[in-house]
Amino acid sequence: MDFDAIVVGAGPAGSCAALELARAGKSVLLIERGPFPGSKNMYGGVVYPRILDELVPQWWEEAPIQRWVTRRSTMIMTPTQALTIDFRSQNWAAPPYNGATAYRPDFDHWLAGKATDAGAQLLCSTVVTGVLRDAAGAVIGVRTDRPDGDLTAKVVIACDGVNSFIAKEVGLYGKVDAANYTLGVKETLALPKEVIDERFGVRGREGVDFEVVGCTEGVNGGGFLYTNLDTVSLGVVLKLPRLAAQKKRPEEIIASFKKHPAIAPLIEGADLKEYSAHVIPEAGYKMLPKLVGPGLLVAGDAAALCLAAGIWLEGMNFAMASGMYAGRAAAQAVTRGNTGPDGLKPYLEMLNSSFVLKDHRKLQHIPHLVLSDRVQNQYPAFVANIVERMFRVDNPAPKPGLRRIVREERKRAGIRWRDLLSDGWTGMKGFS
Amino acid sequence: MTAFRTDWGSISFDDRMSTSEFRIHERAHIVVDGDACRGCSTQECVVACPARLFVPTSDGGVLFNYEQCFECGTCYLVCNTEGAISWNYPEGGHGIVFHQT
Amino acid sequence: MTVVACLKWLTPHDADDRFGGISPADSSALEWALRLGAARNEQVLAVAVGPAAADTALRDALACGAHRAIRVDSADELSSNDVAAAIAGAIDGLDVSFVCCGDYSLDRGTGSVPAFLAAQIGARQALGLIEIVLGNEVIALRRLDGGRRERLRVDAPAVLSVEGATATLRRASLSGALAARTAPIDVLAGPVGSHLPTARRPYRPRARVLPPPQGETLDRVRSLLSGGTATKSHGVPVELEPEEAADRIIAALDEWGYS
Repeated sequence: MDFDAIVVGAGPAGSCAALELARAGKSVLLIERGPFPGSKNMYGGVVYPRILDELVPQWWEEAPIQRWVTRRSTMIMTPTQALTIDFRSQNWAAPPYNGATAYRPDFDHWLAGKATDAGAQLLCSTVVTGVLRDAAGAVIGVRTDRPDGDLTAKVVIACDGVNSFIAKEVGLYGKVDAANYTLGVKETLALPKEVIDERFGVRGREGVDFEVVGCTEGVNGGGFLYTNLDTVSLGVVLKLPRLAAQKKRPEEIIASFKKHPAIAPLIEGADLKEYSAHVIPEAGYKMLPKLVGPGLLVAGDAAALCLAAGIWLEGMNFAMASGMYAGRAAAQAVTRGNTGPDGLKPYLEMLNSSFVLKDHRKLQHIPHLVLSDRVQNQYPAFVANIVERMFRVDNPAPKPGLRRIVREERKRAGIRWRDLLSDGWTGMKGFS
Repeated sequence: MTAFRTDWGSISFDDRMSTSEFRIHERAHIVVDGDACRGCSTQECVVACPARLFVPTSDGGVLFNYEQCFECGTCYLVCNTEGAISWNYPEGGHGIVFHQT
Repeated sequence: MTVVACLKWLTPHDADDRFGGISPADSSALEWALRLGAARNEQVLAVAVGPAAADTALRDALACGAHRAIRVDSADELSSNDVAAAIAGAIDGLDVSFVCCGDYSLDRGTGSVPAFLAAQIGARQALGLIEIVLGNEVIALRRLDGGRRERLRVDAPAVLSVEGATATLRRASLSGALAARTAPIDVLAGPVGSHLPTARRPYRPRARVLPPPQGETLDRVRSLLSGGTATKSHGVPVELEPEEAADRIIAALDEWGYS
């Protein structure tokens, strides 16, 4: 065998897996298809690196972050209205921090550097085109796109991202359904730091994260806006089959989001610095593949470990954690000399007993609810109209009672009580 | 209406794409089966590809580019015609290189 | 004997080393050096003058099959002559057969380093090549004005500079790529010399001085409106010794306002 372990993909999952293996004294090769780790990666929001406490103590002193998120806004939007729940906490402006904004080419590059510092070997500009298997079908290595490009290892960890051709090749996924995926498109918009500080009401390294529902022109999805040091990142996430069916172009949906009166003043005068896009595995627990194959572990986006549950929009933390556990389980299996399915099984136990699968299981109905037609197309107007009528002064007509407003607005929005209660129940059950 | 400028969407698509760095390889990593596309009435790829790499032709087929591809996978995921789009990654070190994403 | 490939590493103005690289012409030059080395059974040496980030390009060269890499350490922008002197110093004492260079770098240079280098090491030069044929002898095809071509037989030692489309750099093998990550790179101290000013501005053609228009009013107007083309001569064929020819060229450049 050339290596104890080969990790495919130097994103957050792969780098944490390689770091854990290298620290356990195993020989590990981390293969990245881009010219450097992070070069193929973008995301739509915030990284919550708490899990790094275990791997890189005091990570906040060295990680290349842009701003610490101290303001978290959830916005419900209609073409003319916006209802914002805006929360800020100065507790998140100091160590150990909570969430941060970062550029992925910087953050992932840094994290891969941690793995190589620990002794992992990194090979860039190399695509893994398939796996090598023995007669019994167990994975014993990878094939790359380089001449003489085969390498063998006792364990292969697939952290090759949302398209994971490895997990598909080994048959860990069932039929791939486009409805489980969303497309994220994003603009990085340049503004001077002082302007960002002023418009978003933050100072120094403090930052803002806006999550928006109802801004995607009827295509199921959502919008986001968050601050970097001297840019803001703005984009939309769109459910794939709907996007294709509704004949709306992604950049047109971004353009209309940017024109909204609640958004336009925040980004006025900003120049487009970079346009980017990526697919997101967004169906949560129900789309998870098998996470262990013979000689193979899957982590991060490749394992569809990503949570789009309205209040919580997370992916990198699941990637880092699942990568870490995969690396740990692989190292133990190599030490024991059993890299078969039983030997690798502790990976599942680690995921099951940690937030990775606990969160996914607990919130398994939420992603579907968040992207449902009612939450997307009926509830935003329903809620916004209720609030508008509560705050509207209709003199000389006397103020209507809240109950009457809700009743009338529910009728106007065409929402059945049954659906409202059932969605409320799903949400309550999921979140509580 | 709002007094703020609202023409931010007016940047041309070419200008938009020129903000991203692509290290282009001579081999196309996307291949489209033209015959399969002529039988496809929906042509989801044309609408959904964030880089507008797919263009419908007058004879009902689909013309494709591969150079400015974000390598996201949207095209083959939305494609309703089995086998019409073959898609893999460009050669190592090539393709999209993100800077501030 | 040794075949040398010269690589110029450049990083975009406001970005870091992750986004740097070498020009397509330099990639072609490396490929030609590897082919020449294989055809003549000679060692291939990759040389770069630049900062530590240039090691990336040198490692890629080693991965592709170069036997040895030398970096002359320099973080400054150097004149073409200084770069050529640094390369000449690095390969001094080696029995060099061919030196392959790209005919332009990523920062749109003048492509003058190969010529300076040929002068400094006392080698022949064949510059701006669009094709090289390797056989018993090295035949190079060179682009001339007006779509004409010049076919040269090039004997060692010689400096060759090639255009970017002349050869595609081979893909490094997996074992080569793995080995190159930790392969040694010889680092030499950089040149101490004149540094170019580092102010950057958009590329634009050099302005030149035109003589005031002369003659009748109509001729002067015509001359002004033609942008100088009306009075432009189409050259005079002369036959001179090399020394005299060089003086004549410099005089003409002075006259045209290029001095």
